[in-house]
Amino acid sequence: MKPSLPYKIVTYVVLTLWALIVIFPLWTLMVNSFKPKRDIFKDPFSLPTEVTVDGYLNAWTDSNFSFYFRNSFFITTVSLFLILFLGSIAAYSIAKWRSKIPGLFYIYFIAGLMIPLRLGTINLLQTIKAMGLLDTVFSLIPVYVAMGLPIAVFVLTDFIRALPDELFEAAKIDGANRFGIYLKIVIPLIRPALSTVAIFNLIPIWNDLWFPLIFIRTEDQRTLILGISLLFGQYQSNWTYILSALAISAVPVLVLYLAFAKQFIKGLTAGAVKG
Amino acid sequence: MKNKCVFLLMIAVFLAMPVINAFATGDGEKGGEAVTLTMGSWRVDDVKQIKKICDAFSRKYPDIRIKFDPTNPPEYNAVLRTQLEGGTAPDLFYLRSFGISRQLYKEGYLENLKGLPGLNDAFTKESIMPWADTDGTPYGVPLLAVSHGIYYNVDIFKKLSLSIPGTWPELIKTARAIKDAGYVPFANASGDEWTIAEIVFMNLAPAFIGGYEGRMQYETGKRCFNDEHVAAAFQAVADMAPYLPKGQEALNYYDSQQLFLMQKAAMWMGGSWDISFFESENPDFEWSVFATPGPTEKDKYICFHMDAGMGLNSKSKYKAEAKLFLEWLTTKEAATLFGNELPGFFPVHKDIPSLTNKHADAFLSLNKGRGLDVRWAWPSLLDGSPDGYSLMQNNAILILKGELTAKQAADALQKGLAQWFEPAKNCGN
Amino acid sequence: METGKISLLNGILRKKSSAHLVWILFLIPALLVYSIFMAFPLFQSIRLSFFTGKGLRPDNFVGFDNYVSLFTDPVLSVRFYNALRNTFIFFGIHMFVQNTLGLLFASFLASKFKGHSVYRTIIFMPTTLSTLVIGFIWTLILNPQWGALNKILTAVHLDSLIRPWLGDTQIALPIISLISSWQWVSLPTMMFVAALFTVSDEIVESAMIDGASNAAIFWRFKIPLILPVIGIVSVLTFVGNFTAFDIIFAMATHRGEPMYSTDLLGTFFYRTAIAGEHPVAEPNMGVGAALATVTFLLLLTGVLTWLFLSRKQRLEANR
Repeated sequence: MKPSLPYKIVTYVVLTLWALIVIFPLWTLMVNSFKPKRDIFKDPFSLPTEVTVDGYLNAWTDSNFSFYFRNSFFITTVSLFLILFLGSIAAYSIAKWRSKIPGLFYIYFIAGLMIPLRLGTINLLQTIKAMGLLDTVFSLIPVYVAMGLPIAVFVLTDFIRALPDELFEAAKIDGANRFGIYLKIVIPLIRPALSTVAIFNLIPIWNDLWFPLIFIRTEDQRTLILGISLLFGQYQSNWTYILSALAISAVPVLVLYLAFAKQFIKGLTAGAVKG
Repeated sequence: MKNKCVFLLMIAVFLAMPVINAFATGDGEKGGEAVTLTMGSWRVDDVKQIKKICDAFSRKYPDIRIKFDPTNPPEYNAVLRTQLEGGTAPDLFYLRSFGISRQLYKEGYLENLKGLPGLNDAFTKESIMPWADTDGTPYGVPLLAVSHGIYYNVDIFKKLSLSIPGTWPELIKTARAIKDAGYVPFANASGDEWTIAEIVFMNLAPAFIGGYEGRMQYETGKRCFNDEHVAAAFQAVADMAPYLPKGQEALNYYDSQQLFLMQKAAMWMGGSWDISFFESENPDFEWSVFATPGPTEKDKYICFHMDAGMGLNSKSKYKAEAKLFLEWLTTKEAATLFGNELPGFFPVHKDIPSLTNKHADAFLSLNKGRGLDVRWAWPSLLDGSPDGYSLMQNNAILILKGELTAKQAADALQKGLAQWFEPAKNCGN
Repeated sequence: METGKISLLNGILRKKSSAHLVWILFLIPALLVYSIFMAFPLFQSIRLSFFTGKGLRPDNFVGFDNYVSLFTDPVLSVRFYNALRNTFIFFGIHMFVQNTLGLLFASFLASKFKGHSVYRTIIFMPTTLSTLVIGFIWTLILNPQWGALNKILTAVHLDSLIRPWLGDTQIALPIISLISSWQWVSLPTMMFVAALFTVSDEIVESAMIDGASNAAIFWRFKIPLILPVIGIVSVLTFVGNFTAFDIIFAMATHRGEPMYSTDLLGTFFYRTAIAGEHPVAEPNMGVGAALATVTFLLLLTGVLTWLFLSRKQRLEANR
């Protein structure tokens, strides 16, 4: 479809206005992360008069931060993979199993969207302790997977349900079994939905502070946000350090997002060809 | 078959994680010579300093190492509570004063420290009390106190030829002179509401209600919480309202600190913990501190708050070693180290060491000739609903907004506390 | 995957009786993880709403007392109704602003034009930031002393609009809701883009040949196709914001300052069950669990109603 010129103009005007509303705060973040902490409040929105990279150096050279990065990245990617895999295969079952049972499981799963898991912290701590996972990055993965499954099941079930039954029948005639159908038909077709679910879960997992606080003590098992939280003092904070660390911490999320967005677009165009 | 295998393998790996992990961490538990104790705290700011102090301890006891492992302050209470109940708490940890730690002791999470060598010699009964049960059994070693007062910009005071106010009316007169000269008189603001409770209202309250003795009158029911002294204390908050910075409703603690540091505000009603921050942010800036004045020259009191004690986890594996550390904390050597490493956090030791930091020393010397008391709400007014802390804070803020008069605020405090606090129910006899 | 192996598996799985078994096998891993690490701990904790006592595991059975005090206690109930009201406002603003903007952006982004992937990334950028940083930056922008917003307003002679933004009990909540919408608008945008792509080009082109305007095309062809997605997005907005916590914690502390005007069910729950009312308070797990249960039931009712309605609609559409 070729948009008309006025439509194009409106598009650019609205999106550019929004871009300004987004970029100004990001600008504030970036310029202040390069200022000595004393200058931040003097003029928070101007370019730094004296540039410092102390914050970035601190995050870079402080050996612990590289641990934190590695841990956060590991936890996030493994959790996301498991959420997508377990969630999509369960959603496939719920969407296409002709029986009364999956409907109940569906409600059972999405009930998890409605109650903060913080409430169950003490019981969760005991489970994790009994499994011997305490104080390791592995303690967080099952918790995040469990937290991510409700949204995965909720979104993916709807998408899989919308896939036409003829596709499945055709594949069956070709002799594919259910797992084969799942891999060869379901997964490629729901790629946009998978990316959406990944992005929905990416940020809460990456930025979670509560469970690392409870489960992790050892330095080399800490997550990035747990590390950053220790930069916030009781009555004083080194904002140069904090802003730099937070700016860096947004980079992996952005990279992961771009990767998912690519999949998302691929899935869209693939779907459009078929449609 | 390959996919099925991959699938099953993944589940297997997932379920086997505990086992893998047991192998991965197993070697760390080898019984070495040195014992490492973990110390929990909410003072994330003090990592370097505490390490230095603990190293001094380890030089004396080479077999005991102490690992300082603080949690960010807003989550400290919740995290510690969860770890205690889940059996993963540190061996030693900072204790808040009064009720909240007493509750932990009653539930058996804290070791009884009765008979800890040095405890009774090093500290007065009054300073042990914030970390002792109602019958006097101690469960924590007094560690740090914080003081409250009014910071002031020496240059501005000189330039406007202002002298240190000795009474509250003089303070307000000083504030007016500062405002007339184009400065902000007080950097204080209510954007962080706790500051109005802890560094404004409870900072000035002792001078208005008569310190410890005065507080006792309220807590035994001899005086009501809406008598003229309390009303005067709330009136003092009302007096400050015109002299706070523009938009104070939205200025937070950091903003207030910055206003004072940038020399836009001439005074900052604050706590001693800001000393090291102001020193490090702007070493050339000349500031000092005076005691918060009362209604008359005779009302000489200071809010000197017992802030942190050190407790021992009753389920710790290394109680004997931890007790050696607690015993060491009662020595003058430890008190001196703490006092000098953490300017603005004062040791509670009977034999107060002289402090090397001149600002900290000046702050502490304000105590001379003045009656000391902790923050008003802490000892008895927190264990019911509505609690005294929230009542003082919320009503003081309503005064600043002009929605309540001082008398109405005092009445609201009395009415709220009378709902559960026995002495307030039939007070004034 | 090799075909030979598929047919081998297929041979085993073809039997009708094993059909259910395969579906169950697909469900089991997710069910296990979810039950052990979420459903079970939560169920254990909901039980606590019938108990009272100190600590995280109160053991003194009190029946429905915690619920009664939540709804009638002079202090608690005021906070509860206040938080409930604020949560509805918070949700309403997200629903209106975030989802409308999401739909608008999606309708732009669904057609290809120069730089559209740049704009897409820009829309997403706030989502990647930690709430800590968002809280800090926006507080700085809205600061009454050195904030940019007031400087801008002064520059365009709109000084009269200046407020202590985050300190004003009337507008702090709407402002934080807008900031949160700003952060999360990318998610509805993505979901709407996905939905809009399913509108086939031929339909649109034939409509354009017939002389339909862009707006007419949007309303006639696109809205019906994205209606189901609007449903999903609304449910996610609903459940997401009824348990919201982070942004308030970052910008207005866990007390919902100023004067509880930004207190949501999420922050109220955190205070009651976990952190305590003030810096040295003891939390009340029993009441906290009761509050979480009430929130849960509220959400469950909402979502089940939606499920029922959307199912009915689907059945009617299929007829």
